[in-house]
Amino acid sequence: MESGSPSHRLRFGIGIGAGAAVAILLGHFLLGGALSNLAEQRETRQGIVTLRALSDLVSRTADGDGLRKAVTEFQKAYPELKSIRVVLLEGASLEASTDPADTGEWAAPRQLSRDEKKNEKPVFDLMQKIRGTVEANREEKTAKEELEIGRLADGSGFSLAGPLEKNGEVTGLVEIKRSSAAAATRPGWITTLLYIAVPILLLVGLSFGVGNKQIPLAICAAVLLIGTIWGYGVQSRSKINREGLAASDAVASTAKTGGERVQSILQGLGIQAEPALNPASWDSDLARRPRAVLTPDLKVDPAKAMSAFAGVGTAVTRATILLIILGVAIALFFGMGWAELFARTLRVHRTAYYYVTPAMVGMIILVFFPFAYGITLSFTDYNIYTTGKPLTEIFNGFQNYVEILTDFQIAKRSADGSWAFNYYNFYWTFFFTIVWTISNVTIGVTLGLILALVLNTKTLALKPIYRVLLVLPWAVPNYITALVWRGMFHQQYGVVNQAIQMFGGSPVSWSDTPFTSFLTALATNGWLSFPFMMVVSLGALQSIPADLYEAARVDGATRWQQFTSITLPSLKPALVPAIILSVVWTFNMFNIIYLVTAGQPAGSTEILITQAYKFAFEKYRYGYAAAYSTVIFGILLVYGVFQNRITKASEGI
Amino acid sequence: MKRSLTSILGLAAALVFPASAALAQAPAAPAAKEVIVWHAYRAEEKTAFEKVVAEYNKAAAGKGIKVTTLAVPYDAFADKISAAVPRGKGPDIFIYAQDRLGGWIAAGNTVEPIDFYLDKATKDRYIPTTLEAMTYRKQIFGLPLNYKVITLIYNKKLVTAPPKTSKELVKLAKSLTNKSAGRFGLAYAYSDFYYHACLMNGFGGGVFDAEFKPTLNRKENVKSLDLLLKWIDKEEILPAEPSSALITSLFNEGKAAMVFSGPWFLGEIAKGVDYGLAMLPTLNEADDKPMRPWMTVEGVYVAAPSKNKEAAFDFVKYVTDKPAGVIMALEGRQTPANKFVYEDSKVGADSILKAFRQQVDVAIPMPNLPEMTMVWSPATTAMNSIVKKSAKPKAAMAQAQQSVEKDIAGLRKK
Repeated sequence: MESGSPSHRLRFGIGIGAGAAVAILLGHFLLGGALSNLAEQRETRQGIVTLRALSDLVSRTADGDGLRKAVTEFQKAYPELKSIRVVLLEGASLEASTDPADTGEWAAPRQLSRDEKKNEKPVFDLMQKIRGTVEANREEKTAKEELEIGRLADGSGFSLAGPLEKNGEVTGLVEIKRSSAAAATRPGWITTLLYIAVPILLLVGLSFGVGNKQIPLAICAAVLLIGTIWGYGVQSRSKINREGLAASDAVASTAKTGGERVQSILQGLGIQAEPALNPASWDSDLARRPRAVLTPDLKVDPAKAMSAFAGVGTAVTRATILLIILGVAIALFFGMGWAELFARTLRVHRTAYYYVTPAMVGMIILVFFPFAYGITLSFTDYNIYTTGKPLTEIFNGFQNYVEILTDFQIAKRSADGSWAFNYYNFYWTFFFTIVWTISNVTIGVTLGLILALVLNTKTLALKPIYRVLLVLPWAVPNYITALVWRGMFHQQYGVVNQAIQMFGGSPVSWSDTPFTSFLTALATNGWLSFPFMMVVSLGALQSIPADLYEAARVDGATRWQQFTSITLPSLKPALVPAIILSVVWTFNMFNIIYLVTAGQPAGSTEILITQAYKFAFEKYRYGYAAAYSTVIFGILLVYGVFQNRITKASEGI
Repeated sequence: MKRSLTSILGLAAALVFPASAALAQAPAAPAAKEVIVWHAYRAEEKTAFEKVVAEYNKAAAGKGIKVTTLAVPYDAFADKISAAVPRGKGPDIFIYAQDRLGGWIAAGNTVEPIDFYLDKATKDRYIPTTLEAMTYRKQIFGLPLNYKVITLIYNKKLVTAPPKTSKELVKLAKSLTNKSAGRFGLAYAYSDFYYHACLMNGFGGGVFDAEFKPTLNRKENVKSLDLLLKWIDKEEILPAEPSSALITSLFNEGKAAMVFSGPWFLGEIAKGVDYGLAMLPTLNEADDKPMRPWMTVEGVYVAAPSKNKEAAFDFVKYVTDKPAGVIMALEGRQTPANKFVYEDSKVGADSILKAFRQQVDVAIPMPNLPEMTMVWSPATTAMNSIVKKSAKPKAAMAQAQQSVEKDIAGLRKK
């Protein structure tokens, strides 16, 4: 048994090596990414503090020479700034600039240039955009980003722009370009390699203790991997925390020096700092909400600074757990011999896999991908406002599902005591869909069966003509039928009401109440669905041997007895699949509802699928609509499984 | 088999020959900047627009700009723009009504702001309200090309002098109504919120306040609905369940003397019907203020990710200028937003264009806020329940207001 295939020891050696290598290397790159993110965040925060110090300074000066002098002084005090620009909305003018390109004929103050050589449209648009955002935030109480950050084209730093405000009005834009200095600390390679090597060596050592046995080796490998990867995670987290606290310290010192510098520039210009400067408030996010990490006397509040990293901590824990699962899975894949098995299957059934590849590729692109994408969307807040954002940013977990499934406000009593139904509620729509499906299928089957029995009469004349006529409703495109029926139910001109009037009745306005509106859709769909049932039943009827009936007659059975004991049981194998199919069709019968009732009145006659459509394409809540569709899919899936059981059971009899 | 072979050959030849002809011409022109325009025009509107483009291409050959057009079906247009443009796969320019503008701006990287290019002379050449439709939070995002607005359209055989006030309208309509014969003095899609807006705005109502908060339940809106109900129930001058198909057939059969509708209705009028256009009447019930329909404005927008924005804007300016407007008015039967177009002698003499031009002075641009898309569905529900008497105007509008507020809150969670 041992000979021919590699030993368990070797397998688990390879497995733990591969598992540790993949998990720890991934961890290494994740840590690297997190650290460089932190370094970038720290620079951005320092940049924001500088920008807000500058805006604070500029907004306290009068426009014109005073403003330009303040800007020049500020530039002198901050060597890490490449340039400063101040643009005013009034007249689209460049009020001050320390950009080397803005000298000579381009020196400020001047109008923004429309010239082909120097097109300053971007800065103008940026100013307008920021003004718009600030006003929107104020009016709608939202927190969209009021500061704009951008990388410089040559990669040497970043630019940061924010609003210039006077008396609570946005009057212009302040922009700085700052060079980036600090490089991120990188995770050490030696540590990483050690984390990979140690579990391999330990397993080799342990394997002498446990011997060449599969299960004990598997346990050892798993425990070793869990320990190692967890250790790497703990180490990473403490590193990130250290860096994060250091960043807050750096920001505090930037704010402190900034405060002092602005104060001294203001003094130089002979301006009283009234109200007093508040450098601690300069440390804000891009929406200019204070981070509240700095105390008013510019000390770092350690608890607050740490709590800013709570999110990072959970992210590290989550990543660690995922890496553990991945590492252990890889180790077991090799160690338990599944890798070998997999390779062998591929080799042996190569031709078969070749044959199914094209179909698989087609299925993946046309079926599985859209399906998976739809399900992914259902976990996001993808709507008309967020179409430009990446899905990760608008991820909102199960919120859509919770909103759909936990809304039990179906009806409430209004002030005058009458009941007001909330027809947009999921459960109402679900209930209506079930009623709709059951009633339709019942009508379809009953009518279809009766007509089939009639047509099956041997002595009936002109049978082919009847047959063609009865199949016609099925042959006409169903949306045309739907529109025709809607026309027939028109209150003033519809043929139905005209007929009612002919017999002395008063015209009914069909779309006024949920019930009458439902009747119009039911009539239309009944008309559309009986031919299918009729054709199916007729086929099955004709295959029942005539001698069965003859024997029954000889035994003295009545017509009804013949029908219930011979006809119905013989029809069952044909009818049951047809009913299952037509339940699914009717459940999702979009055209008829959409065209005939359009959900009127007040959305009471929507079925689930038309409701999902309305959420997506009338309310533009794509994520919510995706969740809605997923729920519909779930319902049909449950129905399918349930139905399968029943059919299997009935076949057994 | 043989036939299909020849047809394939023919097809191949058809593909190759124009291509080779183009190749032969290519070296003559300088390396052209290609500007791609998406539009949803059909029939004569398309022909007129393409003529304008051809003339521009002739004129701009020296600048090295070449404009190519692509007609995209209207139903899919807006969603295609939302999907393609932000990912840099779309056109350089596109033409669409202002109602989706706010959504595109909120989504970002779709519509390029063009304030910076505009001087006063350019801004002044448009009918002010049409430029207002292109403005979002004080920033201009496109130039208005054509507008569409509802007016009074009447059958000249039945109506000799169109009514000037709502009292005259009711009086005249009553004399022309014979309910049992299915004849009505007035017909319009009053249960459609878009059509009802001309009454609603006439009373000084509206959908949003100055701070962009929904205000469906304001009392002016309720008053306008009360008047509508009076017209339906008390005066009995309107048909029930007025779908657009029904109104068209009533008007064509001479069973509806007057109709409130827009330029799209003119194409549906049967050949033999002699019709005229007039301003919507003033409302005696609202201190003689005019009825103010919503107008939709087709804007020409530069796509934000376009590589040829300058060239694109050059075309945008051209296509909204007077000569282009005259062509589109006379040949495309459109109503240009450029006010100087109406100084042209032929356009000025055209009674239809003149009527729309008069109406637009009191029209209100339909809100271009993204929140507007949330209004339609609740407003339609409210209109239906009011018209069908299942709710009183005040209660129905309060319900709609609640529902719009809820939807907007659902979108603005972040």
